[in-house]
Amino acid sequence: MIGAAAGAFLLVLSLFPSPAFPVLYIDINAPGGKRMPIAVADVAVGPGDPSLSRGIPKILSDDLALTDLFDLIPPTAHMETVTAAHFSGKPLSFPGWKMIGAEAVVIGNVSVRGDRLSIEMRLYDATQGTLLAGKRYTGAPNQLRSIVHRFANEIVYTFTGVRGVFGTEIAFTARSGKSRGKELYIVGMDGQDLRKVTDNRSFNLFPRWSADGQWLAYTSYRTGAPNVYLRNVSTGAEKEVIRFGGSKAPGGFSPDGVWLYAGVSQAGNSDIYRVRVVGGAAEKVAEGWGLEVSPSPSPDGRRIAFVSDRGGSPQVYVKTVGVAGETRISSGTGYATSPSWSPAGDRIAYTARSGGRFVIASVAPDGSGAREVASAADGDCEDPSFSPDGRSLVYTYRKRGYSALKIISSDGRRQRTLVSGLGDAGSPAWSPGR
Amino acid sequence: MKGTISWKWAVLVLSVAALVAVGCAKKQTVKSEGAPGAPGAAVTPAPPAVGEAPVMEAPPAPVAVAPATPPAAAPGVAVTEEKMSQFDDVRFDFDKSEVKEDGRKTCQVVADYLKKNPMAKFLIEGHCDERGTSEYNMALGDRRATAVMNYLVSLGVPKAALSTVSFGKEKPLDPGHDEGAWEKNRRAHFVLK
Repeated sequence: MIGAAAGAFLLVLSLFPSPAFPVLYIDINAPGGKRMPIAVADVAVGPGDPSLSRGIPKILSDDLALTDLFDLIPPTAHMETVTAAHFSGKPLSFPGWKMIGAEAVVIGNVSVRGDRLSIEMRLYDATQGTLLAGKRYTGAPNQLRSIVHRFANEIVYTFTGVRGVFGTEIAFTARSGKSRGKELYIVGMDGQDLRKVTDNRSFNLFPRWSADGQWLAYTSYRTGAPNVYLRNVSTGAEKEVIRFGGSKAPGGFSPDGVWLYAGVSQAGNSDIYRVRVVGGAAEKVAEGWGLEVSPSPSPDGRRIAFVSDRGGSPQVYVKTVGVAGETRISSGTGYATSPSWSPAGDRIAYTARSGGRFVIASVAPDGSGAREVASAADGDCEDPSFSPDGRSLVYTYRKRGYSALKIISSDGRRQRTLVSGLGDAGSPAWSPGR
Repeated sequence: MKGTISWKWAVLVLSVAALVAVGCAKKQTVKSEGAPGAPGAAVTPAPPAVGEAPVMEAPPAPVAVAPATPPAAAPGVAVTEEKMSQFDDVRFDFDKSEVKEDGRKTCQVVADYLKKNPMAKFLIEGHCDERGTSEYNMALGDRRATAVMNYLVSLGVPKAALSTVSFGKEKPLDPGHDEGAWEKNRRAHFVLK
């Protein structure tokens, strides 16, 4: 089998010098580059709710619109009706799609039988009439959105080589109703599927995802004192993982899922510890006479970024785990907190104080190339967290009691509001890829 | 840019195609969807195949962490309410935890009370104003509460009579968003247990 696989690979490589192999692509590194004109046709519906015909393309189109990589051809311009026959040999009328400007066409065929949903989705290069990607999905009807997100990820991957982040989620904290407490919430990266995770009317803070996206670590005051818990996102099962010390806040998991890093105070002095998620004694990772908080593990797990005020004000430092010595990477004398390591490991975003306001900045792990990513003339921007593809950041925007979660592209060019209307929303954490 | 040939991307797409082909090698039924006569249509292994990707949720992963404790049932409402105190709050400067002159006077009052009421115990809450990130403020609140505790101990109060908790910026006394409110919210608060 391995030999056969290698053979297939070589065969492809040997084909590659062939001069006639046009490939549609999008260069995601070209700011303001041309967008791909794409048509998402109404899907064919077998047995099932006829509104899916428009509903599925709507989900897909909304996803693609978020990337700023596509120009969506409006459905009113479409001239061909997609039917089940297009999935059993009947060719699409590609000249017709090209005529309305589409370079790519997405079609789908869905059927719902009882509690079983099946969808086939295909992506065509309209200029060549070739199939670029095709998937057949089965699941429960309530998995429809997640299925469509998956195919949206396929489309982005096909054109960019980078997996999309549709279907990923953001955990955050907010006050629930008139309660003074804070609960954990989760919302889809598209702003849909908002749900409350905890409901104990105490303070539930600092949600952090495990690398497999199955667990959230967070601090809860539900017993009266702050302790750190692990919560299984699917089942709701919980386990207490950090009980020693006074104040405590999880910072992040090691990529292998073995360790949870946290800042823990003892006798008024917070240091960085790590504990095995299966239990056991805590190890001190970084300490000093100042406050050490907010550890963010690097994607390779070898280093952490963290905050220390040993120099008189809170600043971001990087250190190799298990090796003495730390390097300050934030500059200026102000205030730099809440570091978040990019998935590629090449940037660290953090909250900086600039001109009396808080802004989002980012810097290379060696302290070079610092730049401002997000700021607001009328408020504060805090608590950045990278998307799993590294192309976006979610952060908190605050203005005199109003707060919202916003998403901005890493280059600072595009921005949208993810969540507003919940009291004191903050501490967003973007889930790993799905 | 559109429709142009890019060998870099061609390599990428073809490599991915090859990988997909490798992944599907066992069960693949290659259905050629290439336009008739398109170069390589007959041998291009990957794109034509409509793959099957079940999206059923993976069974709850066999993660090393066993769900040990059920979610606590007792609501933590009491934690979120401001507890009345007969003693003034000890106030702090921005990003500071030094006990200032008027705070020391308050601590002396508390210490005197404890001398007259040796059975009494105090919880000292540390609080911060809303500026800055929650995690840093959580640790700062802890340092403020501890600073007050240490000062009381220096006045002769037995440590056993005192405990601390930080609420960071989560529990402001004044919900306002100006220096007047912030000044009131940077505090240590005494709660008689």
